[in-house]
Amino acid sequence: MNRPDTQAMLAAFTAALAEATTPEQIEVVRQAHTGKKSEIKLALRGLGGLPPDERAVVAKEVNDVAQAMERALAEAGAAIEARALAARLNEEWLDLSLPGLAPPRGARHPVITVEEDCLAVLRQLGFVRVDGPEVEHPYYNFDALNIPPHHPARDMQDTFWVDGGYLLRSHTTTVQARVLESRPPLPIRIASAGRVYRNEAVDATHLAMFHQLEGLWIDRGLTFAHLKGLLTTIAQALYGRRPVRFKPKFYPYTEPSVGVDLQCGVCAGEGEVAGGAQCEACHGAGWVTILGAGMVHPKVFQEFGYDPSEVSGIAFGLGTTRMAPQRVGVSKVALLYGQDLRVHTRLHRSGV
Amino acid sequence: MKISVDVLRRYTALPETLRQVRLLLDDLGLEVKRLSPDGQLTLELLANRGDHHCYEGVAREITGRTGGALTPPPVATLSIGEPPWPLRLETDLCLVYTATLLERVGAGAGQLSDEALAPLRAAGLAPVLAPVDATNLSNLELGQPTHVFDADTLVGAVTIRLSRAGERAWPLFTAAPVEVPEGTLVIADDVKILAIAGVIGCEESKTTAATRRILLESATFDPVKVRIASRALGIHTDSTARFERGADPARPLVGAGRVVQLLEGTGAWRRVGQTGQVGAWVNPERIVRLSAAAAARFFGMPMPCELIVEILARLGYIAHVSPDDGDTVTAYVPTWRLWDVEYADDLYEDLARSIGYNNTPVALPPVEMGALPSPAELRRDVVDGLLQSFGFYEVFTDGFYGRALIESLGLPEVHPLREHVQTENALDRAYSLLKLSCFPQAVELVALNQRVKNEQVKAYEWTRTFHPAPQHKLPSGRLSAPCTERRVLWMVASGTDRPRAWLDKSRPADLFFMKGVVEELGVALGLTLELGPAEADAPLAILLHPARQASVRLNGAVVGVVGEVHPSVLKGFKVRKGRPVYLELDETALLSATPQAPRFEEPPELHPIDRSLAFSLPPQVEAGSVSEALRAAGPPSLIRVAIVDLFEHDEGGVPTRTFTYALTFQTTKGQALSADEVNAACEAMIAAVEGGALGARGVRLRR
Repeated sequence: MNRPDTQAMLAAFTAALAEATTPEQIEVVRQAHTGKKSEIKLALRGLGGLPPDERAVVAKEVNDVAQAMERALAEAGAAIEARALAARLNEEWLDLSLPGLAPPRGARHPVITVEEDCLAVLRQLGFVRVDGPEVEHPYYNFDALNIPPHHPARDMQDTFWVDGGYLLRSHTTTVQARVLESRPPLPIRIASAGRVYRNEAVDATHLAMFHQLEGLWIDRGLTFAHLKGLLTTIAQALYGRRPVRFKPKFYPYTEPSVGVDLQCGVCAGEGEVAGGAQCEACHGAGWVTILGAGMVHPKVFQEFGYDPSEVSGIAFGLGTTRMAPQRVGVSKVALLYGQDLRVHTRLHRSGV
Repeated sequence: MKISVDVLRRYTALPETLRQVRLLLDDLGLEVKRLSPDGQLTLELLANRGDHHCYEGVAREITGRTGGALTPPPVATLSIGEPPWPLRLETDLCLVYTATLLERVGAGAGQLSDEALAPLRAAGLAPVLAPVDATNLSNLELGQPTHVFDADTLVGAVTIRLSRAGERAWPLFTAAPVEVPEGTLVIADDVKILAIAGVIGCEESKTTAATRRILLESATFDPVKVRIASRALGIHTDSTARFERGADPARPLVGAGRVVQLLEGTGAWRRVGQTGQVGAWVNPERIVRLSAAAAARFFGMPMPCELIVEILARLGYIAHVSPDDGDTVTAYVPTWRLWDVEYADDLYEDLARSIGYNNTPVALPPVEMGALPSPAELRRDVVDGLLQSFGFYEVFTDGFYGRALIESLGLPEVHPLREHVQTENALDRAYSLLKLSCFPQAVELVALNQRVKNEQVKAYEWTRTFHPAPQHKLPSGRLSAPCTERRVLWMVASGTDRPRAWLDKSRPADLFFMKGVVEELGVALGLTLELGPAEADAPLAILLHPARQASVRLNGAVVGVVGEVHPSVLKGFKVRKGRPVYLELDETALLSATPQAPRFEEPPELHPIDRSLAFSLPPQVEAGSVSEALRAAGPPSLIRVAIVDLFEHDEGGVPTRTFTYALTFQTTKGQALSADEVNAACEAMIAAVEGGALGARGVRLRR
């Protein structure tokens, strides 16, 4: 047998491979130049016919060429695959300027969000939520809370009277009265949140139905200092560590009664904004009222059989309806209580 | 109340700048609602502090803090003696009544100085006539309302009495006489009513520029009686504001003295005789006792008896320390505070005002443990999150609505949804009926949004409905409520299941969308919520599409209703687009039901075997009934029957729906299924459907 011309085989292979540009063409080259009937395979099979002294040398030559072909085939295949992948990836460009396609979420009402935030703070202080009827007996709305008939305080809460001598509760304090009437064991720490009603002419800032949240803490030994500590904690938990001030207020069911003001976030308590103009956010006061509160009135305790010299209590109320517009940057609270869903969408999505 | 800082400075020393004055007043609970650069203040006064309704009252509160001197305006000293006019008191609802006669000295009615009139102008009142202005000033300066009658119009004695049935009076500033409710406290002469006590004078006895003699009234009336009269007649005056909060019964003579001082100061008027007084009021000399040690505990700071006594004295109390224990402070309540000071707690408030609410210690009470949301609250959160993920927005609707809204529903004359609890005094007719159903407001919401070109509506609300109930006597003796309150979760959807997208087509937010919401609510809450047959007698039944409504059932019990809004209702509300779907669920049932965790089975190691069968259904045959028949006829290895496709076509002139049912057979180790076994099972299931009741109704396998 003649000695095989491996260099010629390699040259032919190289030339053929250089022409191949697809995986299929590479396969054709593989079959032609390294397949069972290829010259290199024939040369391998013919090694036995060579003289023993040449056989080892030629075998090495043939093997080296066969391996070189396999490497070249693998490299060429990988290169073509890489080019194909690159081309595919390029073709798969997506226009991400188009809008996303996940269904858009709705949202909770901003007043309820505020309510939940308040409740979250109160729960940390051990308060549990309780609820009561909206159609209420006047006893729980007024009399039990030290608001006798014809008292001017009844004017503070223009009332919707309904059939049967009942009324629509004008504050959630009714729930406190009902809890006190049930005489649960001390300490009592309850929060009542929900709808209340006022028989008022409705405009952009006044509603006939709105929301309140009130808290009541009854125990032995609660003091005015505790009242201030509790209210400061609540105010700062909700609004951050802004300065808080207390001022006298009147609520028939608390004595002393206090209003809690938070330093105005717009004018930082100055009452004026740049240029000396009055701050509109606080009407020049430098402070914004966020809470009404007080120590439970002795008459309220007596009404439910408690001895006011033995127990004391802290009652407070948050105007969640008033807080919500401030949170979401809406000036007219009536918008939040309307049913125009464009309003609700825009509260959560800009540019709708 | 509107006051002038400059005038207030006449009464006591004030901080230099207006801003400092404002902060001081705010700090004392005399909240400044408006402050103009020229020192005009609008104060919001507390409802229980009638004594604050005058310069002297405001100034006294300031001196309680500052310890400064209080300088009230000069007052003529009047002596009680022979009445200058016959006085008759027929009721104890007038505590004190004084009458002083003045006559004109010169030609005119006199003129008060600009300085004297400053409080009047600050209050926004224009000077009218010296006698009238003087009475207004007495109220503004000292908090004592007074009134002047033209004495030459009076006939006989001045009587303080209750009005009689059918009696009429002609209040000032009204066009004609009005009937006075029987039992109203009035001032009258022998032939007419001269004034509604504490509210307003009357035309026939009013003082004019021609008046030569005036009878000056200065009195204290029962606050409740004044308030009732004011409300009954719809007349609210500065006098009413003062009297209904409890005026100082010791002050009428002082108030009259101020009027006399001002009028005599003009040189146009002089007193005639002494001042007459009737009335049985005697200072009760109310005593409130306070423990200094208890006050110290209350405020969390030392409260020496001496400090307490000093502060109370500044505020007009006469206070002293009990020599017995050196701790008890005995305080005599000043007459102007008799209406609001009763308990030691009331004195705490006065002490706190004087010290400053912001100058007492702050301490958080001990909190041993926080609280967790209740299970119902947690479950409500779950529902909120789920609904929001479907694109729903939470909204609020009023707890009431007007009759017009109910009429828009087109209900028959007799229908449960017409039986409302009513409000009795609503200012707005739209608030006349307590909400009995959320449905009308839901449809109105859709209509409103369509009017503003928003066709994508998905809204929900947690609310209550009010259902009339017969009243009965409770153990407390009170009557029970006229209604029961039902907690409801409702939602409405209209438009598409998602906003129109650039790539795919949205589906309508239809009944199937809402059915999916119900199903997912069930999954989220661990409840078996299913749609069942509609209840014909449900109140909403006639308001929903008769062929597109269902009950919602929890463990078989009806807990809600779902359906397409009836086309005639949509027409009534002018909803012209879409087919809104309404869902209402009983909140209590939903949130209080015991959840069941899903039954978990580990996924099998072997792949399931799938087959599909298509059945053609004639009209009115429910696709679900075929699913049930397939399940019933299938082997235990059949683990799922799902409808995966619908093809609507015409078969021999009959509208036909062909559904593809995907069947899944599960094979497990040791229970391997062969293809032949599955095929045999399918043949048996087909035979069961075609050969059974469904086959008799025309259900056929589409081959």
